Amino acid sequence: MTARPAACSPPAGGSARTAMALPGDAGMWVFVLGDMAIFGVYFIIFMVYRGHEQGVFLASQRHLSLASGAVNTLLLLASSRFVALSVAAAAAGNDRRARRLIHWGALCGAAFLLVKAHEWYSLVGAGLTVQRNNFFMFYYAFTGVHLFHVLAGLLVLGVMRAELRRPGGRRAWLLEAAAIYWHMVDLLWIILFALLYLMR
Amino acid sequence: MTAAPAGRRLTDLWTCWWVFPPFYTLFGIIFVPLTRVMPPPSPAKITAQVVGFFHAHALTIQIGFGILMVAIGFGSVVNGLVAYQIRRMTAGSVFCYAYLATLAVGAIPGCLFCAFSFLAATFRPDRDPHLIALCYDMGLLTFVGSLGCFATQYLIFAIAIFCDRNKVFPAWLAYVSVWQVVTELVAAPVFIFKGGPFAWNGAISFWEGTALFGVYIACLIMASRKAVERQQRGEVTAG
Repeated sequence: MTARPAACSPPAGGSARTAMALPGDAGMWVFVLGDMAIFGVYFIIFMVYRGHEQGVFLASQRHLSLASGAVNTLLLLASSRFVALSVAAAAAGNDRRARRLIHWGALCGAAFLLVKAHEWYSLVGAGLTVQRNNFFMFYYAFTGVHLFHVLAGLLVLGVMRAELRRPGGRRAWLLEAAAIYWHMVDLLWIILFALLYLMR
Repeated sequence: MTAAPAGRRLTDLWTCWWVFPPFYTLFGIIFVPLTRVMPPPSPAKITAQVVGFFHAHALTIQIGFGILMVAIGFGSVVNGLVAYQIRRMTAGSVFCYAYLATLAVGAIPGCLFCAFSFLAATFRPDRDPHLIALCYDMGLLTFVGSLGCFATQYLIFAIAIFCDRNKVFPAWLAYVSVWQVVTELVAAPVFIFKGGPFAWNGAISFWEGTALFGVYIACLIMASRKAVERQQRGEVTAG
């Protein structure tokens, strides 16, 4: 861990920012890069197994609903856009618009959960459970861990919304840090979508 | 809770801190070379192989877990030091109590249950081989699969740091703690698989989680040291 505590402390009040400052706070970047490294290891392990059992993985992949995956990708992309616009609206001092955009972002996140739940329900109903083969073992584990990230992300969006109502004035770094997390959730899904649904 | 006056020696806290590195070193020696719990032997072993495992390592298992029974209490000292620092945060004492409670409960499946299962298996080597295999499964399933208390503990620790205005611990430690929640969650499939990355000796369930646990403990030791140093200089005001 190279980040020093002093460098990680977000600027008080979020106003005294220099032009070189990172968006959000350094601690969130430590988290995001570390979390992506964890997923990076998952993906390498997935590729090793896929290399050994390519036929099984390709055959199993056909059971996944490409439409569900694509809809979920669009939902998270749209959600990320709403959240980015919300941060910009907050920076421009338009808190009402910022809050409204957060609601739209959270709605897309919640819709993602519903689509994913429906997808799992259909697969389990068809007998394609976690024990079916190694592809489905990875599929449920990875999408499950990602789903946990989405749930945590919805809480993070709740924190953003509360921050926009904060009587003492909102802290720009906190809104940015929360948005960075949500973008990471989006980015991880795009990689998962490519690995699990698209890669032939 | 009051701030330590500048220049106070804080011998009590330093004594607790110095338990930290030797305790985890001893923990490593017990679990890796002595008792062979880490890295875990394969869940795919057949009963005869399990009996062979205990036969080959009976003495070191008994020595290792015998030492653990003497030393386990020192874990409470290091957890106590962290809990004490949580109490100094503005987050509220409830986080401190919750942190201690999750660790107190978690120590049973995460450490002691495994030790007693292995000790019971080596205590009567002429026991029915299937009962010895049962001890093996119970020991390793609880050791790797006891994730709920620890995931909650990491989450409590992270939230306490996020809510703390005294900056007792740096914010990045909270994020490192959240990684641990992720690695605990992916250990959940150990109850299903006897091979592959999600088995109890798997690349994801065991190796990645253990590597990150090592990083976490190193960060916690460093951050605890800095917290006591800052307290000694009288920098931190208690909530």
